Amino acid sequence: MVYDKETKMKFNFSFTLRIWILIVAILLSLLAIVGSPINLFQQGILVTGVEQNSTSFESGLRQGQIIIEVDGNLIKDIDDYSMALLGKFDSGENVKTIIKTKDSEIILFSNNTPEITISEIPKTNIKTGLDISGGARALIKAQDKEISSTEASELKEVINNRLNVYGIEDVKVSSISDLSGNYYVRIEIAGATPEGLKELISQQGKFEAKIGDEVVFIGGKDITSVSRSGQDALVESCSQQADNSYFCNFRFSVYLNEEAAKRHADITKELDVNYTGGGVYLSKKLDLFLDDKLVDSLFISEGLKGRVTTQISITGSSTGFTQEEANKNARDEMNKLQTILITGSLPYQLEVVSLDTISSSIGKNFVSSIIKVGLIALLSVSLLIFLRYKKIKLSLALLLTSISEIVIILGIASLIKWNLDLPSIAGILATIGTGIDQQIIIMDESKEPSSSLQQSLKRAFMIILGAYLTVTAALLPLYWAAAGFFKGFALTTIIGVTAGILITRPAFSDIIKKIKEREE
Amino acid sequence: MTEENKEKNFKKRFGKFYDSFYKILLLIPLIIIIFSFVYMGIFYSNNGDFIFKDFSLTGGTSITLIGKVDASLLEETLFRSLDELNTRVVYDITTGEQTSLIVQTKTNSDEAIKILESYLGYPLNDENSSVEFISATLSEDFYRQLLFAILIAFLFMAIVIFLIFRNFLPSAAVVISAFADILMTLTLVNILGIKMSSAGIVAFLMLIGYSVDTDILLTNRVLKRLDGTINEKIFSAFKTGMMMSLTSLVALAFALVVSSFFSVILAQIFTILVIGIGFDIFNTWVTNASLLKWYMTKKQK
Repeated sequence: MVYDKETKMKFNFSFTLRIWILIVAILLSLLAIVGSPINLFQQGILVTGVEQNSTSFESGLRQGQIIIEVDGNLIKDIDDYSMALLGKFDSGENVKTIIKTKDSEIILFSNNTPEITISEIPKTNIKTGLDISGGARALIKAQDKEISSTEASELKEVINNRLNVYGIEDVKVSSISDLSGNYYVRIEIAGATPEGLKELISQQGKFEAKIGDEVVFIGGKDITSVSRSGQDALVESCSQQADNSYFCNFRFSVYLNEEAAKRHADITKELDVNYTGGGVYLSKKLDLFLDDKLVDSLFISEGLKGRVTTQISITGSSTGFTQEEANKNARDEMNKLQTILITGSLPYQLEVVSLDTISSSIGKNFVSSIIKVGLIALLSVSLLIFLRYKKIKLSLALLLTSISEIVIILGIASLIKWNLDLPSIAGILATIGTGIDQQIIIMDESKEPSSSLQQSLKRAFMIILGAYLTVTAALLPLYWAAAGFFKGFALTTIIGVTAGILITRPAFSDIIKKIKEREE
Repeated sequence: MTEENKEKNFKKRFGKFYDSFYKILLLIPLIIIIFSFVYMGIFYSNNGDFIFKDFSLTGGTSITLIGKVDASLLEETLFRSLDELNTRVVYDITTGEQTSLIVQTKTNSDEAIKILESYLGYPLNDENSSVEFISATLSEDFYRQLLFAILIAFLFMAIVIFLIFRNFLPSAAVVISAFADILMTLTLVNILGIKMSSAGIVAFLMLIGYSVDTDILLTNRVLKRLDGTINEKIFSAFKTGMMMSLTSLVALAFALVVSSFFSVILAQIFTILVIGIGFDIFNTWVTNASLLKWYMTKKQK
């Protein structure tokens, strides 16, 4: 403990209860921040998410595992991991990959890179918000409709289900309300932004298959299951088009309930058979509508006429600049359609009112830049204090108190698993500012010659209490305003000033008292 | 003459000056307040609002393009297709090199992404860009709620002040000078033509908390301290209060300079706080101090 040593060596005085409380608070905070010290020495990379139903998942890769070796190459960071897999899947053929995690060995046979998201092993329990660490967050609400809190939590469930079925990991869905009583559903996804996220969360997902004007089946309701892998769900043919872009078809099977299968039989029974150049089909096509928009029209082969069939093939297509991209788009499109078919539609139209997709590479330098800002600000203030009071001990005490305040805020934030976003960090900076102001009040009041030290410090506390109450009162409304976007600012500031008035300020005034006593 | 004597002499002369002119000094804030009201009135009738808003309050899109995309060329080419286009360059604080370009527009995100992709000639993904979108209805809602939050915050702050001092006129003086801080800051922000973001409004909220600190100190010293003349009390409070404001200003100014390289949001918060604390120095030691002295002089008679 720096603090401990400092005071003992230089001032050699006994600690008062308040100083002990501060020291204990700092130690507990450090413990909350660092968590298990083992993490500090663990090498490798952390698996933060595994796509469901993927080869990686089936082979045994799971969220939370720590990868230490790939094909015999030691993995120390993300770059090592990328290097180990570089060019490995270019051929498009199935190849073997041996992944060694901390406590198991996993063998993959796959023609593409493992479907996992990874990150460096976090050294501390401090979590940063999506606006710093990267990810996507969206706020959605019902379009042209006021929803109740029950409806909002139902909506939350449906969205959550949809994202899970789609295979998005590391997602947090919550229903929130704001000061004007509007209800929203907030979605936060850490790491890379899944393709087509906006459509996935905003689409009402009303899926109808019609022949002519008659509905054969409806997504969700009439579907018993949907094939998701193997020969019954795949991207089958890709071709280059005249404008050099690529075009890929996908196909997957859905299974209908008896009722819908019978409907299919009743409707197709009435249709004529047409002989076209390509084959023999029924006179009308099966039209697929998604949210009342025609997405595809399928020929119905002659053999299905009047048959009670529970299995139906759905096809579709996607384009892309390269074959790889077209293939990927088709796969995504298929996955989206499958998800909607399984989860069914939402009771009303939705509107994405806010959508942020933050690149993780932006936030990389952000934290270190912020720390630099904080350090420069703190050092300049300490210098100013030294110039004014000409006492190194006082400046040091002030500097250390401010740092201890940051440690306590970070400790509490780690403890309650608060994600430190930009507003939270601004809040920490604000707290340090007010903290220093209050310490100046304590120092100046204690200098007053006319009254006893005890009285002076008491008076200082009255001023500080006033300042504390006004700051807290001013920030409370922010906790609920604007759909919680600035909650972090209110939270860190209130934690900071409260820790200040309860722990650091009393300790600081005792330190000042001790320094004064030693001087006399 | 020793240092101490010098100071005493200065205090004496300054005290004399202050005794005869403190009421007249009040004219300066009064004039600025009137000017601010008039300016804000004209501003409101011209713009239909109290501030210039950026995309976070009008609705729109902010896209951060990672890499050295040329700002002026992009603006020149796209100012017709992207509504209310605005760009900001972000630098690395150690090397000073451009790391990214922030493009802000009122156009919605789907359309803006398409336009930018065709301009840049490559697709945007989450490795080369960040996209933030907020709808017009939501941002208007945010704006209303944040204004409401400021109103409530100010009200709470005023209640706390009245409860602490339980003395109407001195408390009113604190509230008036806090109000003057906000009004003057708002006016200057508008004169400078700063486009305010939702974070900027939050900075005003912070200002409410920050600005009353020195006023509380001053009022506490003048009302609760028994020994010394009014001038002595004000002067001792001034020494402490100036130190508080100066440290805040220095820290904020450094933070502003550094953060302006890499964060538009933080830079705006710090800009508003620097302006606000600047006005707070003025309003605490001219507006509030003079009102308080006036009240105390009346009471002593």
